[in-house]
Amino acid sequence: MAEVHLTIDGMPVTVPEGTTVFDAARMNGIPIPTLCHQQNETPAGVCRVCVVDVGGRVLAASCVRPAENNMKVSTNSDKVIGARRTLVEMLMADHPVPCARQKHSGDCELETLARVEGITQSRFPRRLSPRGQDNSSLVIAVDHEACILCDRCIRGCDEIRHNDVLGRRGKGFMAGIAFDHNQPMGNSNCVSCGECMVSCPTGALTNKSVVKTVLPGEPVDVEDLLQLTYFQKVSGTFLELNKNAIVRRHFKKGEIVCREGEYGSTAFYIVEGQAQVYLATPMAHVKTQGGASGFLSNLTSRLVGRQQARREEEGDRRSIPIDAPVDLPYDNPVATLGPGDLFGEMTCMSLYPRSATVRAATDCVMLEMLRNVLDIIQRNKTLKAQLDANYKKRALDDHLRSVPMFSTLSPEFIDVLRHKVELVRYGKGDVICRQGDIADSFYLVRMGFVKVSEPHPGGELVLAYLGRGGYFGEIGLLGEGRRTATCTALDHVELVRIHAEEFQQMVEQFPEVRRNLEHLAYERTEQNRQRLATATSIPLDSFLAQGLMEAQSLLVMDLERCTRCDQCVRACADAHDGVTRLVREGQRFDKFLVATSCRHCRDPLCMVGCPVGSIRRRNSLEVIIEDWCIGCGMCARNCPYGNINMHPFEVMEQDPAAPARQIAVTKHKATSCDLCTEHAEPTCVYACPHDAAHRVEPNEFFRWLKEPSQTEARH
Amino acid sequence: MRIDKTHKPWLVISVALLVLGLILYIVYAVGAPGGPRGGSALGLTFGIIGYAMMLYAGALGARKKVPTWRLGKTKTWMRGHLWLGLISLPIILFHAGFSWRGPLTAIMMWLFFIVIISGVLGAAIQHFVPSMMTTRVPMETIYEEIPHVRKQLCDEADQLVVAVCGPLKGETPAEAEEVTGSDQPVAAATALLVDIEQEDRMRFREIYLTKVRPYLEDPEKPNAELASPRRSAEVFDSLRRLLVPQVRGVLDDLENICEEEHQLSRQIRIYRWLHGWLLVHVPLSIALLVLGGVHAVIALRY
Repeated sequence: MAEVHLTIDGMPVTVPEGTTVFDAARMNGIPIPTLCHQQNETPAGVCRVCVVDVGGRVLAASCVRPAENNMKVSTNSDKVIGARRTLVEMLMADHPVPCARQKHSGDCELETLARVEGITQSRFPRRLSPRGQDNSSLVIAVDHEACILCDRCIRGCDEIRHNDVLGRRGKGFMAGIAFDHNQPMGNSNCVSCGECMVSCPTGALTNKSVVKTVLPGEPVDVEDLLQLTYFQKVSGTFLELNKNAIVRRHFKKGEIVCREGEYGSTAFYIVEGQAQVYLATPMAHVKTQGGASGFLSNLTSRLVGRQQARREEEGDRRSIPIDAPVDLPYDNPVATLGPGDLFGEMTCMSLYPRSATVRAATDCVMLEMLRNVLDIIQRNKTLKAQLDANYKKRALDDHLRSVPMFSTLSPEFIDVLRHKVELVRYGKGDVICRQGDIADSFYLVRMGFVKVSEPHPGGELVLAYLGRGGYFGEIGLLGEGRRTATCTALDHVELVRIHAEEFQQMVEQFPEVRRNLEHLAYERTEQNRQRLATATSIPLDSFLAQGLMEAQSLLVMDLERCTRCDQCVRACADAHDGVTRLVREGQRFDKFLVATSCRHCRDPLCMVGCPVGSIRRRNSLEVIIEDWCIGCGMCARNCPYGNINMHPFEVMEQDPAAPARQIAVTKHKATSCDLCTEHAEPTCVYACPHDAAHRVEPNEFFRWLKEPSQTEARH
Repeated sequence: MRIDKTHKPWLVISVALLVLGLILYIVYAVGAPGGPRGGSALGLTFGIIGYAMMLYAGALGARKKVPTWRLGKTKTWMRGHLWLGLISLPIILFHAGFSWRGPLTAIMMWLFFIVIISGVLGAAIQHFVPSMMTTRVPMETIYEEIPHVRKQLCDEADQLVVAVCGPLKGETPAEAEEVTGSDQPVAAATALLVDIEQEDRMRFREIYLTKVRPYLEDPEKPNAELASPRRSAEVFDSLRRLLVPQVRGVLDDLENICEEEHQLSRQIRIYRWLHGWLLVHVPLSIALLVLGGVHAVIALRY
């Protein structure tokens, strides 16, 4: 190879032809500061900090300027130093000091360079319009304020990892880095390999440290992690930063991995062995009835299954949705998970309670991980494909059949769907479809919660919350071809997307499915119309602000009649085995008290987050808690009005210490006011001796407030 | 129970029964040779009807013990209790011929009068007082929760003062100074939110410990200075003048806490009014029913 001879700062230097001035200087021990250049990336010459004087009209960026024969290079002349200082000052003018990286590890390259150059304050004014932050990714924080547009991240993403997610957006003053078509990072196709973060010279891309506690288990070396398929394309440095967020766990046969109802923050990936996933809570609901000694005894509450006491409109599901790749059969809620299965995703991503108990069926090795690592592997294309394939192979069938109206689909058609459906993921707050969009798909909720809403003059009107097993999109596909509502992901959501073409094929081939869907679409449209009409007919802001118009039935006490004897509370407790479902406290409106008792809200927040989807509404919109409630208390915590109670029961369970022995353990079932539906009037109202307690619809209550004479009429 | 126009049917029926009873009694009393007697056929009929009404009225207590039983709405029972219980008195008087000769009947009649008067008084109280409770106690809580709420209020007040003065451990200002340390601005564990001189801090602490806290610890203590809302307002006004302006926000909060205490005291008083009469009415009613039974057995047997 030909050589070139040049002089750098008076030192004669010989380098192979094609070498840049920057590399020539570096190879001969002459440092040239730079920000945008890294040895493993193609030089771009965008920061110009590496300028040198080669005797030309202007200073040259040494990282891109090839060395030439007889070239005389000066790296530290006054002109060069002055230009470099000015450049650094200009970059520092916009830079938050200290940036996140400087704060955490003290190695922001720009701030280090500024310190070396003796720059403490920039002469240039700060940019007035903020460039903002992007916290949508679970693992990487993006601070556009700290970005110096060096493009190192872009080259890392494109050249090193070949992911082609990062690029530039805008021009001049508006320029910045962008993910895909300027999506938030968390919503983009970023695979969380961490290369951009490792490449970034400043605090513009930093690791989100979510590891505050040490996970129990065996630490996993980065080298070991890199051996696993789904970590192979992840930056080693990035894994090093996150290695405390993943551990290897060994479970002996019979050992409990996690229990239903417990709160956790980790997911498990089975490497070896098999695990049994099951529900330990009895498959039953709370039924209140006369005691064994007959009429004169107090009422008692018992746990009964739907076989013994079927309630009106009780669900007919044959399977129970859980936070795992499989559903559990209602009759025998047990399933087996094996190598390659991932479970606990909802707990990990959205901090929901565990939906089932998992026990090692054989000796098992599992990886337990926090959500930053889960996010990395979920974004890994290989693993994602593997998990999706597992789901389509094992769970799609059950999932579709768990929806009553799809129970008639033939196995052949499900096989066709298996290859056509797409699994799509959405982050918290992502809009899945907007009202008015073209209806191009039908969706089944596989994981997470979706809010269905309509814009409304007073704000957004929530039409429904859909959890696992819920579905939407049929109204648009069967109707005018446009979305009739906006659907938004409330947390980490995974959906099974059936494209319009397959959907049409399905409804043509299976007329019963079509009939059911059309009937449902009609019912939903009608309910939505009624709800909208109710909400628009009430002008009183405070009434709306208290959420009263969201209610369907309010327990109202007339405080001018109520003697505070608490007969209503005692009656409720007596009717429910000593656990009252009402508290005589709440918001006051004029002389009325809206007592704390289930309002059967139109916007039932209690239903968001149920890890097994056991709380839902009847068609009459009353709340019903299905038999597979695991007693985690999520609904009770989510109810903004404190109207859901946890009813304790003693049940016999196998003693983990001595499997042959049965021990009594306390399990809970969620209960809410059921309006004593078996009677004509709720017991609290029936038992009030002073005619002070009433169950009313919000509209009627509103009329009472406006026209007190209406109250008299009621009495 | 509010006695309003919804009671009209009961009023009409009761008056009709009363008028009918009165007519029968007058006819019977005028025609009876020895005057009206409880042992006569009509007297006995009056006695049976009157006692049945008393038993029905008394059955309300039992009805309330089994609120889940579908034996008719409790409000209907309550109305029956009020009206039938009320007219049982004249019916029994018709039975007795307005005279009571033996000691048992005399006792019973006195008891009856007391029961009816206490009942009427109770009905009046329960008609008027709930409105008073509603308007005068806007911060009303569940009666059984009052001790718990009071403890919370006391803790809240302590926290407010600790934020200004530091720990309240020392009994006297001198001891407190030892706890906080005169040179140290604060004890290490306590972050003071209000920056004032140590002397002002000590003065505020002393006032709190001597005036406010004793009241919050035992709001029902007789003659507590802050127990009167008017006196409380005066005390807090004078404290605002006496203490540095920086602590006025805390003083406002303390005054609000005291006001909540006043309301809780008021709630207790009104609640006692609402239900206190039952202490007379219920046991005497039971005694009356028992004695009535005894009287019936004795009179019929002997």
